[in-house]
Amino acid sequence: MSTITIEHVSKRYGDKLALDDVSLNVHSGELIALLGSSGCGKTTLLRAIAGLIDPSAGRILFDGRDVTAVPTRMRPIGMVFQSYSLFPNMTVRQNIAFPLKVRGQSTAAIARRVDELLALIGLGEWADRHPSQLSGGQQQRTALARALAPDPAVLLLDEPLSALDAVVRLHLRDEIRRIQQSIRTTALLVTHDQSEALAVADRVVVMRQGRIEQLATPASLYETPTTAFSASFIGNRNALNLPVRDGRIRLCGTIEIATALTTPRALVFVRSEDVRRSNDASGQAATIENRIFEGSTTRFYLTIPTDDGPLHVKADWPSRETDELRSGDTINVVIDPRDAHVFPG
Amino acid sequence: MVDLTRAQESPAFPAVARPTVAWGRPKPGFFGLLLLSVTVFYIFLPMIAVFLYGLATTWTNHVTPDGYTLAHWRDSLADGRFRVVLGRSLALAIGTAVLDLLLVTPAVYWQRVRNPRIRPVIEILAAIPFSVPYAVIAFGLLPLSGTYAPSLQGTLWLLLPAHAAVAFSFAYWAIDSSMAASNVVGLSEAARTCGANVATTLTRVILPNIMPGLASGAVLAFGVSFNEVALVQILCGNRFETVPLYTLNLLKSTDADFNSLAVMTGITFAITLVLSVLVVSLNKGRAAAGGTTDAKGAPA
Repeated sequence: MSTITIEHVSKRYGDKLALDDVSLNVHSGELIALLGSSGCGKTTLLRAIAGLIDPSAGRILFDGRDVTAVPTRMRPIGMVFQSYSLFPNMTVRQNIAFPLKVRGQSTAAIARRVDELLALIGLGEWADRHPSQLSGGQQQRTALARALAPDPAVLLLDEPLSALDAVVRLHLRDEIRRIQQSIRTTALLVTHDQSEALAVADRVVVMRQGRIEQLATPASLYETPTTAFSASFIGNRNALNLPVRDGRIRLCGTIEIATALTTPRALVFVRSEDVRRSNDASGQAATIENRIFEGSTTRFYLTIPTDDGPLHVKADWPSRETDELRSGDTINVVIDPRDAHVFPG
Repeated sequence: MVDLTRAQESPAFPAVARPTVAWGRPKPGFFGLLLLSVTVFYIFLPMIAVFLYGLATTWTNHVTPDGYTLAHWRDSLADGRFRVVLGRSLALAIGTAVLDLLLVTPAVYWQRVRNPRIRPVIEILAAIPFSVPYAVIAFGLLPLSGTYAPSLQGTLWLLLPAHAAVAFSFAYWAIDSSMAASNVVGLSEAARTCGANVATTLTRVILPNIMPGLASGAVLAFGVSFNEVALVQILCGNRFETVPLYTLNLLKSTDADFNSLAVMTGITFAITLVLSVLVVSLNKGRAAAGGTTDAKGAPA
């Protein structure tokens, strides 16, 4: 276990600033998810921590020790790559043993540790197979075991689940969390999948254009995004661009939000599950334009007539409670202003 | 499990006779086989003729030799000059292959892992032997070596690097494609995060995974050197007679022993054929093994 301190780290590729003055503290034993869309700098930050790229500016410290200039092979890290990068010429056992061999550990110690890890990842029967003989999930687990073999102070996971199918991904997502908690290693997980980040991380770093947009616990990030980008990236939210008049934003009908914004327009984010049905005559009339069955929930695309033109929103409701609703039906909906998050438009 | 090979009956889709589909490699038809046979015959007929000529007592009035003997093979293999020439050519070709591997492998690895920007430069260098005739390269090397290293002229030590230079392209493409297929950048980064230094990474991770490419490159460099004559003739002449030069000299001589020439040609062809088969089989192995481990392989 180790703390990681990132101080004003920047990385420039020609004219492009991949990391822009990033600072972050990762506590010992914590799992941090770096979340963002492609090109936001999350993998660059992870590779800088691994020492695979040199920052243009700033410092990286493990347990207060500056490791910015320390070569990758000398850093106390284990890393799982997006494509796993298992050594094709080696078996599962040999792959896991490799980091221990290069550290000059004894044969007996290596065998003991490899057996431990094979049991941990449940691949004992596959120990003598080569990577090409394994499924994607088994390769991922092997890569995880290889990264954990030297008992690293810091575990780095670069989109380890992105190449897997949905069922295996969900299973291994939980397994990674279980293993990380059982060994209490400090870990950073790069992902572009918000549900993955929210499910496994102690804290989530939302990144955008090389900068940290928001750092928060999953619940806090979900409930109270502090920027428009975070609000748009996390959860299935309706993004409504509405006018601000006399310190109030009229969502629809009688539903209004008081705001201190002085801008002429506002971006109002309302989660799709916070658009609720009203069983009585209260609320605002809405027409169902389309419905998409998604299993436990069904997504409804609604149009709400307002003075400023039709308002298009999406709502997620339990499928079992909305079976009778069809496209073209008119229903009443309510939106609690307290569920809305408002940012300058 | 549903039997998809049987026609399913339903009111909407009555069963109809469907052709049996045999999945797998398509079988060649009659014309395909005919074309293949003609091509093989066209390619091998001259070689069969040369081989038979090496076994012929005389071959004058008939389609086939008048008689057969192993005397030409026995005499040729017993000939000291012949054995020296063969040995010299083999040594030169092996030296060229080794030199190319030693030069190209670290250079391509360094380019791929550390300095991708120099790739266009290496590609241009690799294209030179294809675009410039070997005779031009040889006549370029003569004044250059005469100015800076006159003692090398006419020696193996000028011929060897010259052969390595012209065979470089073949070794380069084989090794480069092998490194690309093996994802050496990813493997190197993984090895570094495991704590391996450059030497360990190369010897235990990279080289074992690009071995088919190394073997292909070596075989191709060997073949280029073994069959090259222009550089040998211009740079060394008869002071360093190789198989192609020996063959050329035999052809030019007034009392040429054409049966011996046929033996030499047969040996050269056999070596080239073995090398070609080796290259094909090595590349086949590489394609079957696969280079990366990206979420492929057996089902979960």
